[in-house]
Amino acid sequence: MADPNKVWPTGLTEAESEEVHRHIIQGTQIFGMIAALAHLLAYIYSPWLK
Amino acid sequence: MIYGKIWLVVKPSVGVPLLLSAVAVSSFAVHYALLTHTTWLPKYYEGGAKAQKAAALPSEQAATLALVEQPSAKP
Repeated sequence: MADPNKVWPTGLTEAESEEVHRHIIQGTQIFGMIAALAHLLAYIYSPWLK
Repeated sequence: MIYGKIWLVVKPSVGVPLLLSAVAVSSFAVHYALLTHTTWLPKYYEGGAKAQKAAALPSEQAATLALVEQPSAKP
């Protein structure tokens, strides 16, 4: 991992891999927030376990 | 970022669809398991619980009133 310009078998460099990962983490966070909001709204408007 | 170097060894064209389908399958499995193994989720998905409750209340009240008003119902 010494050479930052090394192209790995997937065709990406370290910087590109980190960039892809940043987007995936951000997507996961947004998905999580939307899912939490959806569960909250569903519970508020028609609560289960009541 | 932690695990940021995973895409050096896993092709994003393979790993990303795999990740997304794993999320979709596990999310579906959790909801399906709750649907088939609990009593409250089918009721919740069925809906209309509030309307049924509201419809049931006046009829119960009417039955109670009828009992109270009937002289023969008294001991």
